[in-house]
Amino acid sequence: MTVLLGLPRGERATAALGLAALLARSSRSDLVVCAVAPASWPPGLAKIDAEYQEYLNQASQEALDSARLALPADVATSFVAVRARSTPHGLLEVAEKHSASLLVLGSSSTGGIGRVSLGSVADHVLHSAPIPVAMAPRGYRCRVGSTVRRVTAAYGATHGGADFAAAAAKLAGQLGATLRLASFAVRSGPVITAGVGLHAEDGVLGEWSQYIEQVQRDTLAQLTELLSGPPAMESTIGYGRDWHESVEDVGWTDGDLLAVGSSSVGPLARVFLGSRASKIVRNSPVPVVVLPRS
Amino acid sequence: MASLRAQLLRRKPVTAMAEETGADSGTGELRRTIGLFQLSMIGIGGVIGTGIFFVLSKAVPTAGPAVIWSFVIAGVVAGLTAVCYAELASAVPVSGSSYSYAYATLGELAAMVVAACLLLEYGVSTAAVAVGWSQYLNQLLENVFGVRIPEVLSAAPDAGGWLNLPAVVLVGLCALLLIRGTSESAKINAAMVVTKLLVLAMFVVIGVRGWNSDNLANFAPHGIGGVYGAAGVIFFTFVGLDAVSTAGEEVKNPRRTMPLAIMIALVTVTVMYVATALVAVAAQPADKFKEQEAGLAAILQDVVGASWPGTVLAAGAIISIFSVTLVVLYGQTRILFAMSRDGLVPSVFHKVNPRTITPVRNTVIVSVAVAVLAGLIPIDLLSEMTSIGTLVAFIVVSVGVIVLRRTAPDLPRGFKVPGYPVTPVLSVIGCVIIITNLEMITIVAFLMWTAVVLIWYLAWGRRHSELGKSERRRARTEEPS
Repeated sequence: MTVLLGLPRGERATAALGLAALLARSSRSDLVVCAVAPASWPPGLAKIDAEYQEYLNQASQEALDSARLALPADVATSFVAVRARSTPHGLLEVAEKHSASLLVLGSSSTGGIGRVSLGSVADHVLHSAPIPVAMAPRGYRCRVGSTVRRVTAAYGATHGGADFAAAAAKLAGQLGATLRLASFAVRSGPVITAGVGLHAEDGVLGEWSQYIEQVQRDTLAQLTELLSGPPAMESTIGYGRDWHESVEDVGWTDGDLLAVGSSSVGPLARVFLGSRASKIVRNSPVPVVVLPRS
Repeated sequence: MASLRAQLLRRKPVTAMAEETGADSGTGELRRTIGLFQLSMIGIGGVIGTGIFFVLSKAVPTAGPAVIWSFVIAGVVAGLTAVCYAELASAVPVSGSSYSYAYATLGELAAMVVAACLLLEYGVSTAAVAVGWSQYLNQLLENVFGVRIPEVLSAAPDAGGWLNLPAVVLVGLCALLLIRGTSESAKINAAMVVTKLLVLAMFVVIGVRGWNSDNLANFAPHGIGGVYGAAGVIFFTFVGLDAVSTAGEEVKNPRRTMPLAIMIALVTVTVMYVATALVAVAAQPADKFKEQEAGLAAILQDVVGASWPGTVLAAGAIISIFSVTLVVLYGQTRILFAMSRDGLVPSVFHKVNPRTITPVRNTVIVSVAVAVLAGLIPIDLLSEMTSIGTLVAFIVVSVGVIVLRRTAPDLPRGFKVPGYPVTPVLSVIGCVIIITNLEMITIVAFLMWTAVVLIWYLAWGRRHSELGKSERRRARTEEPS
């Protein structure tokens, strides 16, 4: 198993490096750190482009060097610099070449501290990656030598939910972590002038909770049957007035990883975030891994 | 199996209701946060603004200019019943609709009758306001773009069209919003209240310039009977005052706040209605009201001699009627939801879509039914049907207050009817007088509808009632010992 880290250019990629090391350490696999630079233009009349190309190569090398310094020593790491017509393209090519099982990216620098936000590369990769994509919140730090302890699967109980739960369980197994199924509900207020009381929505939510709890129980039972030596499993439901509250409600600790499934409307076996998954990702206080639909 | 009498009178324990709402979703904590102002706004927001936009075309031909007294009568009766409603609601420390209150205090049969009334009231009034919306939409389209939706597609078959398409579209839009999951905060409600009051105030201020005392000369051409008859027609413009009562458990100092809020809401609304009606009947002769579409806008345009006031009023009406359609459609789905959880209607009504966390199938079924009503039935019939449903539900509630005072005198009540037993008795009498002055066809249709619901209950609901099931389970476990 190989973890591939797409190194962001021109930044100290501490968060992404930390997450990549954490994942590689947890799954006892190699780490490949990759810097992608734009491909050179076709050879022209006079090689006026050469200096710029030299500069790009150097920048990649510098990024890799500083990554080398920042990475902990207990993870077997190799470093690659490639040229590609686009960063996502280059990353996916390297992933294929090294048969990587996980791709790690940094959060966009435009997002808030402590939140996962998708940059243009992540957005593009999420639409085309056939392997799980992990992203760290901005400013993410983990303890030296720590591993992933729990994978929380954001579970929607919709079509394909069971497959997603199985994939998450498999990932938890690979990372040596426990599995937690979490469903999230955003509680909407009632329509106050409708004359049906101020708690009309509680009944609806209660009905939904009952259903979700049942589905979660069934899924866990199914997983226990399906997997040999399944990880320890639990389930929970988060409530809140908005997505932020609702995601926060399930409780998070050090060593948590949030797994979301790609939308069922995207092409098969590609990750692609649906509207709810992207809201959950945006509000996640812990690193996120997006699993492709199997 | 329990005797029929026991089945009809079985009541839902309040503890079970408390468990159903909130306990498992972490919302059980109740805080008394609603003050007098907010509660009054809930009352005004629940009542005002839709019926008044189109009810005059039916009420004025019935009563003549004396229609203003019809508004006062309807307002007084609505106030009496709202007070009774508040006591019943306060005896059940769980929030819900009058259906749930009746189930907890009066038994399953009464709950079923109230449910029949509510389904009629909510379903038909949604359809009625949707039809009114289509009139104002047409007015706005004509004023702004100079086009109208053809008569064939904007009127019910009986009113010379084929299908009232805008009304159907409106119901569809509201259904979509409800499926997505929508809510109404106190702020939105306040904004809607202000919009509606401003629109009506604009009508009164501008319309009063067209005052012509000659129009009031023949004040009550159809006598007192006409006044009562019109009161029945317009009673549904007071529907929604019960929203105040259903907020009871979160109201600060309910004993004082509740009646005050009902009074404030009622006085505000009645004054607005009477002023609007007075200006309208003074502005044009009574016989001109008959079958006048988008009436208030049309009157303003005649008074000013330009189209802009009509345009503004139509725009305001479109916004406020939209919000009310949404609210009432929502109420309808949630009442069915509660009934379905109690096992009195099929379980499809309480299936919650796991993705949207809303009762999608319920909403779709209700919307289709309402859309059919709105598309195919003319507005006059719809408004009377709404009124009778509300009136009968209010009678049950008022009688329920008296019954409960006798059968459970010690039950803790957060709010007691002032002037008992005169108030509930007057409330019943008022409702009965208005009902007897409705058109025969309305009463017959209502009785048929109630009969259908009761037959449904006897044939299906009685056996599937969750309450009955749990009683039977208990009986079975106790038997061997």
